[in-house]
Amino acid sequence: MKKRAAIIAFFSALILTLSALVYPARSSAQTDELNRPTGDEIAQRINARNEGEAVSRTLTMELMDRTGKKRVLVTRGFRKYYGEEKHTVVFYESPKNVKGTAFLTYDYAEANGDDDQWLYLPALRKVLRISASDRGDYFLGTDFTYDDIKKETKVGIEDYTWKTIGEEKVDGHRTFKVETTPVNQKVAKELGYGRVVRWVDAEIWIVRKSEFWDVRGNPLKTIHTKDIRKVQGIWTAHQFEAENQKTGHKTILTLSDVDYESKVADDIFTERALRRGI
Amino acid sequence: MNTPYLETQAGRFYWTLTAYPKTILFLGILLILSGAVFLPKMVKDTTSEAAIPVNDPVRVYRDRVKDVFGLKDPVVIAVINDGPNGIFNPQSLSVVSWITERISEVPGIDPDRVTSLATENDIIGTEDGMFVDPFFEEPPTVQEEADRIRQAVMDFDLYVGSLVARDGRGTLIVAELLKDAEGQADEVYRQLLAMVQQAPVHEEEIHVAGEGAVSGYLVSYINADAQRLNPLAAFVITIVLFFAYRTLRGVFLPNLMVLGTLSAALGGMAAAGVPFYVISNALPVILIAIAVADGIHIMGEYYEQVEAHPDVSQRELVIRTMLKMWRPVMITSITTASGFIGIRLASYMPPMKDFGTFAAIGVMTALVFALFVIPAALVLVRPRRSKMFRGGFNGHSDQSVDWFGRLMGVLGRSVIRRPGLVLAIGGMVVVAAVLGALKLEVNEDRIKNFQDTEPIAVADRAINRIFDGTTYFDIVIETQEPEGLFRPEYLRRIEAMQRFFETLPQVKGTTSIVDFLKQMNRGMHEDRQEAYQVPDDADLVAQYFLIYSASGDPTDFEEYVDYDYRLANLRVIMDSGLFTDEEVVKETAEQYIREHFSTPEITATLSGRGSVDYQWVSQIGRNHFRGVAIALLAVWLVASLSFRSVTAGTLSVVSVTISVLLIYAVMGVLGIWLGVGTSMFAAIAIGVGVDFAVHTIDRLKMLVHDQKRNLQEAFAQLFPSTGRALFFNFAAILLGFGVLATSSVPPLVRFGSLIGLSVSASFIASMTILPALIYVMKPAFLRFKRAPERRETILPPEPAIVPAEVDKER
Repeated sequence: MKKRAAIIAFFSALILTLSALVYPARSSAQTDELNRPTGDEIAQRINARNEGEAVSRTLTMELMDRTGKKRVLVTRGFRKYYGEEKHTVVFYESPKNVKGTAFLTYDYAEANGDDDQWLYLPALRKVLRISASDRGDYFLGTDFTYDDIKKETKVGIEDYTWKTIGEEKVDGHRTFKVETTPVNQKVAKELGYGRVVRWVDAEIWIVRKSEFWDVRGNPLKTIHTKDIRKVQGIWTAHQFEAENQKTGHKTILTLSDVDYESKVADDIFTERALRRGI
Repeated sequence: MNTPYLETQAGRFYWTLTAYPKTILFLGILLILSGAVFLPKMVKDTTSEAAIPVNDPVRVYRDRVKDVFGLKDPVVIAVINDGPNGIFNPQSLSVVSWITERISEVPGIDPDRVTSLATENDIIGTEDGMFVDPFFEEPPTVQEEADRIRQAVMDFDLYVGSLVARDGRGTLIVAELLKDAEGQADEVYRQLLAMVQQAPVHEEEIHVAGEGAVSGYLVSYINADAQRLNPLAAFVITIVLFFAYRTLRGVFLPNLMVLGTLSAALGGMAAAGVPFYVISNALPVILIAIAVADGIHIMGEYYEQVEAHPDVSQRELVIRTMLKMWRPVMITSITTASGFIGIRLASYMPPMKDFGTFAAIGVMTALVFALFVIPAALVLVRPRRSKMFRGGFNGHSDQSVDWFGRLMGVLGRSVIRRPGLVLAIGGMVVVAAVLGALKLEVNEDRIKNFQDTEPIAVADRAINRIFDGTTYFDIVIETQEPEGLFRPEYLRRIEAMQRFFETLPQVKGTTSIVDFLKQMNRGMHEDRQEAYQVPDDADLVAQYFLIYSASGDPTDFEEYVDYDYRLANLRVIMDSGLFTDEEVVKETAEQYIREHFSTPEITATLSGRGSVDYQWVSQIGRNHFRGVAIALLAVWLVASLSFRSVTAGTLSVVSVTISVLLIYAVMGVLGIWLGVGTSMFAAIAIGVGVDFAVHTIDRLKMLVHDQKRNLQEAFAQLFPSTGRALFFNFAAILLGFGVLATSSVPPLVRFGSLIGLSVSASFIASMTILPALIYVMKPAFLRFKRAPERRETILPPEPAIVPAEVDKER
């Protein structure tokens, strides 16, 4: 890694020197601007990242309301790709009174096809089909929408127009600042966002920070990605902090025991597994 | 200049004061300017919370409840269709969609916090699952589809009565304001009105309401009103002044006092950071009317002096005037201020307390101007006569004054001719007044602050008629530990309380977390009606909350339950904002809570709009009478001390007591409530109205005691001179308060009318009953027996003879 950085530094310096020779009047800032990837390029790079075919992990959700009161929920989750199709299951482990409650979701490849979702309620010992969530709906009472969560660390290229607007440091890392705007009013309404500015790591192409505005342009929320480290060779963000400016509500999602390598059995994504639990 | 004045302290004082007129005048103007510089700092506060002290426990608790449950005061748009299908037809539902769409575009509205039939979801239980889906994505195109929506909505108990009318005739679009926009509620309200104007309506009526709208509306309402009333008051008073003396200085000098008074009172408010409330609107108008009174009396005396001593210098004229006037002017100012101080001391609501304080400051400033600035300014001009006093003033006749003076003279003679009759009529009025006053009722209704035809009042009536209502109580249920509300036995107790409250008069509906859980339980059980109940298992409740949050916003339940499920909010909705209705619910609720919710593990506390209303209105009655008592006592004390006679003090308050009684009677008979707007009238009426009696007694005392006139002569002179000045004083106050009666804010109208009426009664009583009483009683403080050079030292027993004596004298 250090080596690569050194090489980049060397070439940057070389380019700078050369361009200074060729275009003596041009400032280095302008040079940087020319060298920055376009918004679309950045989006491609983000989504080209490897997220592993399957993953299992523990997800801890800390939810805080305006007054600072807190709920902590711990879940164990599994996700697996079947080509373009994605299956996800989440089992609640604590608090005790909801232990065993589970959500199972099949995301189909077709963009307009409704997803399938099931719910298991241990107190009723009943599996119920429930309506698919909309993209703009909030995910399990957090400040993340289903769209924010579904994409994990990826982004919807086709939903937004992407524009690189600068370069800034976030948590000491070089990032490209990208302004993304929903392609039309309909998409904006679906997503619940009128504009999103994202700070994308210039090396590992993970979004380190995002700021969101509502459909009328009022400040809505920020998401801050933290604790990014490699797990089994895959760059993995372990913490996401979201804060809603309008409601004062906060969410901290923390991932642990992330495992891309252990086998995730196909039959965990079934009604029977919901009843059985893990 | 001769120097007899230097023998008295007052004389020496005015001798010195009139030596530096320019300095004094300059200081006066400086005072006006220094108050005026603070005016731009003035802030307005029209919220209903302003009526309650910040540290009042009811308000503190209310604020805490609002904070815990994130309660907002949303704006509400009602769509009403009186047709056979109500709003459940394609056209009306498309209007609902249209408004829902457009309302989020109104600046200041939070687009994420708009609730209507077009945004809300239905929970449907089927054999294989539970589905949460919008009632409709797109407005229906055919009636059958609208009928289906009606059925779905009417099956959703939580929305019936609140989001939709129970008979389907109306529905609401509820929107919250962004935090930053809460201060600009008036602008948002205006924009909403403009927006709904464009709605594609056919048969639908549309109303904009809600607490957010009400306070927004009040701001613009008050501004418009103040901009009209204040100049009108100034204009009216100027006219009165002109008719009183028909001279420039007669108009200008009292107006200078008005400026000083207003600058001190309003500038003082701004400087002290006291906001301008709805009721503060009356302050400038009242002060304008009161401030000129001293000026009228001083100028009246001055013109009499000019007529009586045409050859003396202006400085001497001014000193003579002030020597006669400083005492009554001081007493009347102090008594007027006493009325306001009575309000200050007895009131509970900060707007009233502040009203009392700053009105008293204004009145005392007027006194400062009357005693110092007016004489100083007067010295600077040359002596000039008033046409109204031409021909001298001989003390025996009123031929020399204008018809106002002559009219007062006639009145005086009539009273002295039949004092017994006057007193008999007075006695009957008092008896009638007491009987009428017994009908007086303490009550209040917030929406009555607006004229019946105002859109906001119309909207309030419509919502109270068709929906569950606009007035509510919040009952906070508190359990001991987090997740206490998962326990089914507690939930069932909350449910029982809801059922109980729904039996109370004017209570149209209740909502709590229990309703959600029941709806959810039914959805989980294939929509079977018998599943519409509280689940038996605490874990199931926990799981319901969890899965509900999976499909809603993180703050969805905020209004009903706190974040760790320890506190719940039960809302009770009433279709009446009338204090007497709120009182019933409040008292019944407290009893129920004492009996059913006062165990250590679960408690309940009453809060909400209804509680807040109750808190301030319930104080009004008691505080009103306390204020009256304080004002009467203060006035009596000041008068007794100034006249050095308890009898004189007591006589001074006779007229105001009668006038206030009379107003109670008028209110009782006409059904005008003693409420927020009307409760201040009596203390003010006492403070202002007593001036007539004070001037009358003071002048009588001067005439009889100092000038050794007999009573008949004294009366003969009193009426055309002091009586005339009092008449203009009265006219200024009556017309000033009359200006308030033209306000478009109904409480100000009632307030102005009642004071106007009361002051009229005081004036009439002071000109009839008071002289008659004095005439019959011959009180010792007048000491008229010691005038041996006069023929009539002992009055004849039959009053009927007296006028003849007077006539002979003439």
